[in-house]
Amino acid sequence: MDTFNDIKELVFALNRESKLISEMFSKRKSIDYKFSDALELVDYDENRIDFLIQKSVIRENGDTLELDDLFLEFFEQVLDVNEEINLSYIDENIKNIKENIDYFLNESNENRKYGYLRFIKKTFKKIGLITLRSVVDLRRNIDNTFKNESNYKNKQLKLENLDEKRTVIKNLIIQTLKIINEDEVTFFNRALDEELNRIIIDIKHQLGECSHNLIEIEKQIIDYLNQIKIHGKFLEKLRKLKYLKDHFLIEAETDVKQIISNNNSVIFEPRTSEPLNLSIDFLREDEKVFDVIEKIAKNHNARKVFKAELADSISDEFLENSIEEEIMINYEEIKNSFLATSDNLFNFILSYDFSKTVEFNERVTIFCQVISLYEQDLDIKNNFQTSNGIEYAIVTAR
Amino acid sequence: MITKYTSDIFDVLRRGQFICSNSPDEHIQTLYKVLEDSDTFEDLYEYFNQINYILEQGNEYFYFSRNERNVDLDRKLEKAFGWIDMIDFFKTFDSSFDVGYRFSPSDVINQLKNNADLKSKLDNFKKLSDDKKNYSDRVKKIIEKLEKDNFITLENEITESYKVLTSFNYLKDLISIINIPEEIENEIPE
Repeated sequence: MDTFNDIKELVFALNRESKLISEMFSKRKSIDYKFSDALELVDYDENRIDFLIQKSVIRENGDTLELDDLFLEFFEQVLDVNEEINLSYIDENIKNIKENIDYFLNESNENRKYGYLRFIKKTFKKIGLITLRSVVDLRRNIDNTFKNESNYKNKQLKLENLDEKRTVIKNLIIQTLKIINEDEVTFFNRALDEELNRIIIDIKHQLGECSHNLIEIEKQIIDYLNQIKIHGKFLEKLRKLKYLKDHFLIEAETDVKQIISNNNSVIFEPRTSEPLNLSIDFLREDEKVFDVIEKIAKNHNARKVFKAELADSISDEFLENSIEEEIMINYEEIKNSFLATSDNLFNFILSYDFSKTVEFNERVTIFCQVISLYEQDLDIKNNFQTSNGIEYAIVTAR
Repeated sequence: MITKYTSDIFDVLRRGQFICSNSPDEHIQTLYKVLEDSDTFEDLYEYFNQINYILEQGNEYFYFSRNERNVDLDRKLEKAFGWIDMIDFFKTFDSSFDVGYRFSPSDVINQLKNNADLKSKLDNFKKLSDDKKNYSDRVKKIIEKLEKDNFITLENEITESYKVLTSFNYLKDLISIINIPEEIENEIPE
């Protein structure tokens, strides 16, 4: 594997590609970084990307690029944004300290002893920092998980896992303190190093702070888990009630009737308006009221009242009975009277008394009408006579 | 006259509304602060008790109830069942639908597109599906209903953003106290 020769070269290379690396780092969670996107940030010089790949700063994964784990971890740790809480470090460091203490105690050469002591001091410092950082990360992760995780089951699982991590950190703190306070008393008595003492005081202080934070975190986790539990229970209950309701079982199978009937909240009551009459005294005495009344009265006048138009009453004249007589000609009677005579019909009608004046022309018409109406009772002869310039057939009774 | 807000409090509560701690209405917030004082609360409790209203305190909300039954059971049951449908609908829309939750009708309508469960629940709202309205009208209707009962309130008219009030706890409490016998509970499929 091709690596950088020295720090200078590394820093220089990172600086040159800072645009690409910072962009890739900020997008590390959200998207797969495309080769083509990266190309834009290195002024379309594929060689520059190839160089980074060669030096294992970034890795090519099919069509996408990603920062190498080593660098990613380094950036996250240094920038304090790591989301994974890696506790194996602390564990490793504790082991290292124990080993080195043994070496220190066995070694008689002062120089080498000093080397071991230096390593132990460095590691103690590291433990303090890492523990503190883990606690801060843990807290942030818990908050994030509770607020942002949308899947309820995963939220619960993640919180439970984080809670386990909390226990691990707690145990590591206890282990560290045990080394300092109990297990390696001989070492601390023998080492007699001013700086070591200071570091130990620092680390005790830091670990104490961590412990306090962990207690708070524990409270928080328990609270969150309870909230989730209650929420889950509520959803479950709701689902069941809805099921029973939809299957019309709810009234029979649960005590809903009893509970609702004991609940006399006003919210169940229909909203009734309460018409109240105005106080007469108030209307009489308050000056403002008069203005209001005037205003309303004005509005009232403005409205056109449409009166239905009524017809005049019918005058009495129209209601009085009035009799008008008209003399009608009764053909039946004419025929009957005629049948009783031996006269011919024309003469009969000409001399018939109609109790009103009937003109000759009219009488002729009546003559024709009688013939057409009662043809079967009459005998129409074949001889004719003339009267007043009209020729007529002789008609007699049959 | 116990405080200068007595009549205001009465006016709100008498209509079956709640006085919630997280109401965006400043007037209601003032009333809540007045009632929060335990001495005032006790005085007002006695005061309203004389006219047959019981001032009740819930989790972050106040409301009125009464001693005697003024409403027949059927009506109350119908109302409670309506609430169950509605909470179920909104919990399907978003399981974190709870006190303080903010949403707009368009959020719900958008969800309808990719949540078949939500859609079928909307279709099952009996009274709404009678008239052939489009989904957005129906959703708005449901939201209006919940708003009328004072469990949510319009916080921002321009963005149509609604907020779930603390009175939602009343519904949750109501549901929690309904007891499902264990043998029945076991019969309900998962």
